[in-house]
Amino acid sequence: MKFSANWLNEYLKKSVAPEKMVEFLTMHVFEVEGIDKKGKDSVLDIKVLPDRAHDCFSHIGIAKEIAAISNNQFLFPKINFKEDRSLKIKDFISVEIRNLDLCPRYSMQMVTNIKVGPSPEWMQERLIVCGLRPINNIVDITNYVMLETGQPLHAFDLDKLDTNTRIATNDTNKKTIIVRRAQNGEKIITLDEGRAERILDSDILVIADSEKPIGIAGIKGGRGPEIDNQTKRIVIEAANFNPINIRRSSKKLNLRTDASTRFENGLDPNLTLDALKRCVFLIGEFAEGKVVSGIIDIYSKKIKPRKILLAFSRAQTLLGIKITSQQIAAIFKRLAMPSKIIKKAKEEFIEVIAPTSRLDLLLPEDLIEEIGRLWGYDKIPAKMPQGVILPAIKNEDLIYEDKIRNILAGFGYAEVQNYSLISDGDQKLFDSDEIVEIINPLSQDQKYLRPSLIINLLKNARENLKYFSGIRLFEIGHTFIRENGSYVEKNKITGLICQKNILKHGENFFELKGLTEALLDKLGISDYWFDDAISQKYDWLKFVHPRRRAEIKSGDEAIGWVAEAKPELLAALEIKERVAIFELDFAGLKELASEERFYVPPSKYPAIIRDLAVIVDRDIKIEAVLNIIEIEGGALLQDVDIFDIYEGLEGNKKSLAFRLTFQSDERNLTDKEVNELMEKIIKVIEERGWEIRK
Amino acid sequence: MFEMLKQLKEAVLKEIEAAKNINSLEDLRIRYFGRKGKITEVLRKLKDLSQEERINIGASANQLKQELELILEQKKKDLGASFEAAREWIDISAPGHKLPRGHLHPRTQVLRKIEEIFQSLGFSVVWGPELETDFYNFEALNVPKDHPARDMQDTFYVDEQMLLRTQTSPMQVRYMEKHEPPLRIIVPGKVFRRDATDASHDCQFYQIEGLMVDKEISVANFKAVIQEFFKRFYGQDTKIRLRPSFFPFTEPSFEVDMVCAVCGGHGCRVCGQTGWLEMMGAGMVHPFVFKSAGYISGQWQGFAFGMGLDRLVMMKYRINDIRLLNSGDLRFLKQF
Repeated sequence: MKFSANWLNEYLKKSVAPEKMVEFLTMHVFEVEGIDKKGKDSVLDIKVLPDRAHDCFSHIGIAKEIAAISNNQFLFPKINFKEDRSLKIKDFISVEIRNLDLCPRYSMQMVTNIKVGPSPEWMQERLIVCGLRPINNIVDITNYVMLETGQPLHAFDLDKLDTNTRIATNDTNKKTIIVRRAQNGEKIITLDEGRAERILDSDILVIADSEKPIGIAGIKGGRGPEIDNQTKRIVIEAANFNPINIRRSSKKLNLRTDASTRFENGLDPNLTLDALKRCVFLIGEFAEGKVVSGIIDIYSKKIKPRKILLAFSRAQTLLGIKITSQQIAAIFKRLAMPSKIIKKAKEEFIEVIAPTSRLDLLLPEDLIEEIGRLWGYDKIPAKMPQGVILPAIKNEDLIYEDKIRNILAGFGYAEVQNYSLISDGDQKLFDSDEIVEIINPLSQDQKYLRPSLIINLLKNARENLKYFSGIRLFEIGHTFIRENGSYVEKNKITGLICQKNILKHGENFFELKGLTEALLDKLGISDYWFDDAISQKYDWLKFVHPRRRAEIKSGDEAIGWVAEAKPELLAALEIKERVAIFELDFAGLKELASEERFYVPPSKYPAIIRDLAVIVDRDIKIEAVLNIIEIEGGALLQDVDIFDIYEGLEGNKKSLAFRLTFQSDERNLTDKEVNELMEKIIKVIEERGWEIRK
Repeated sequence: MFEMLKQLKEAVLKEIEAAKNINSLEDLRIRYFGRKGKITEVLRKLKDLSQEERINIGASANQLKQELELILEQKKKDLGASFEAAREWIDISAPGHKLPRGHLHPRTQVLRKIEEIFQSLGFSVVWGPELETDFYNFEALNVPKDHPARDMQDTFYVDEQMLLRTQTSPMQVRYMEKHEPPLRIIVPGKVFRRDATDASHDCQFYQIEGLMVDKEISVANFKAVIQEFFKRFYGQDTKIRLRPSFFPFTEPSFEVDMVCAVCGGHGCRVCGQTGWLEMMGAGMVHPFVFKSAGYISGQWQGFAFGMGLDRLVMMKYRINDIRLLNSGDLRFLKQF
């Protein structure tokens, strides 16, 4: 919010240079985001945070802060006017509040014989530097007083208010102001730039005359009783409204104003009269008005200053400084808050009376903040904490995440961190039923939470294909789905490979299969297998190649999958290369990885190695041949390696070359017994109708 | 005679030393050790000497011959080996094999360093969910519904009660509900803001939450811990300052500024000419938060902070656009 340095200085006994103001404010209360020279004035852009908006969205509030920080004296603005005793406000107008909970205070004064015209030049200049547009002297003065005190004011042309004909009085011209909830569907045209007609409902509080709403309470005045050049008699409203109600109405109407910003942060109800008096004084000065005697003031629950008791030791231990009770008392004196030192049961307390203008001061800790910031945080020494240090433990999940990152990066994959939000288009492409939707997206690009990491990874591949011919990526991150009406957030590990000009059949797939095997092995998971007989209806099946996909299982439990992406999906994404993807469930993986493993010493006896080449039909699974070898080979067959696969044989056949390692942990094997085992294996293979290549 | 042998030895040694190849060595052998060689000649002359002299000089001369022949042989081997090696020459300026190179995300790398420093200061590392309840993200942290402080963090909602966490702070209450002080934790994680994006703002970024609670934790303790952190992170003493600020869940609250690492405090483009960089929001844990966690009021004191990870990463590697971190662009990732 913008503040004029000249204006601030008006309330300070000793004038403070704008640069000094910046330093004082920054180090002791608010960040100053900018300082701008404007003629002879300087404009400070002060970042007033919500806890102090109630008193510091005003020049007086800021000036009081500067006074307290710099041990300066705060000077109150001038109020000096005479009321016209012959006129009484209550003969002209009455106020009725139907919702005291939404309007804790409503004060009103009246000025007559005004002369509407432009406001003085200095006032216009100040309004302009603070970002307000001058309109006429009356409106400008209400705005000026708002910028000065923080209390929004509103002036109505008394003669334009509807006369209440239903209330029988001697003076049929007497007007009524009613503060009430709007009726559903009730309409008002507001005085903002658009002059739009707004449709109200019963959650919105309005200021009404006897007939219709004339303003949205605390937000914006309505068309009708506004001030114009003919206006002679005005009533000025200074009210206090419930901050939550104002905030909700302002949001609902999508109408934020200088008034609503102030009301939604809460205001001191005791501010209304000061602001009102200052306002009528200025109207007398600059619009020739005569102040009608009396004030209408409906204020049912009077707010009084609060007493807060602070244990002196608490201030010392929380700030970590040695400060005396006298020094603390001096700080509150600078803040113009009365305080006294009390001794109770050997402990020293300081009792501070917080003024009603400081809505934020409720707890002893709030007082400690006042002490800390005025004492100066820079004067607090750095002191290492003392006490027992417990061993620092990194959460096991994070340790495993790190380990997996290292393994995948070690195998040549680059870690990406993608957006968790995906677009409408992505959602359509991947067509997930369980997707979680953002109810208030900022754009179409951020409409859903990613149900899997694959979507963005594929898009990464597409972009990177413009510059690279081999792409290896992985991501570890959270995914979100709906399951049985609740949200499920799962950590996933996903990798992708895409290589241009691949020569071998399914090369991308097999690299990723190898990668997942290596990852699982390195994590100490040995009991896993790849299954292509998938019976469950997984969401991921929708975007993988129906003939090039496998579920990764440990026992019966699914822990992930590896597959090539579905050609239609790649086409839709305009990816011209084959892409393989894997996905592993982090939680499942971590559980398996926690198994213990033990060292097995290598055998002391030599191994006997035999090669075996088998010719089978192309559609026979390698696994089928392998199973026979392993079963027939028995316990002495320590290892089987497949070292060559040749698919180009006549008659749609392929040749598989196996290397068999026989070894015992207990004795030397003889050629004879190995030969017998080999014959046994060959026999079964030949029984299957497969050919042994000799 | 002795003198002659000595001179002969020196001459031979010099020549062996100087020999560049096998041929010159062979040449040398013939000249000294051949049938008409100089050393052979000396040995031949021995028969003209007296018995006594023959024994003395003969021994020395034979010893010399053997000695020099040995050196000659060694030299021969050396020259031969280097000749063999010369044929083994490879052009080491040819490129190394192109092994696939993996990369850890720059955030991961910086985060690891940060975690290591805090762990050495006794802080455990924990994590929390990204899809959070309104309760933990706001209400338990003293930000009731309809509070103006909610405007400080524009929020993505998935329904009335569930949102994408706007900060890592929800873990404060989540953790304290399950653990009793003394405690020290950091919580790194992804957070979301419903904000327009530009080179320095993104709707998704990383934060590191810190929380320390014990009997008498003070602002002075916070200062020391954070100063130590920055000192170790930057490997040199760095000056910090605390400025008053406001967060509903800390009281007092402050911003932590660090002397600009780029200009050293003189003022530059990076720090907006102020000489200071805003590094984190922090404060002393608000009594309301202890109450939310179920702690008995007045028993504990603590500090909490929230630090932007992305900013540290960007400063360390001079990255000029935050969105690169979320881009998956290999031209970027390959550099780390």
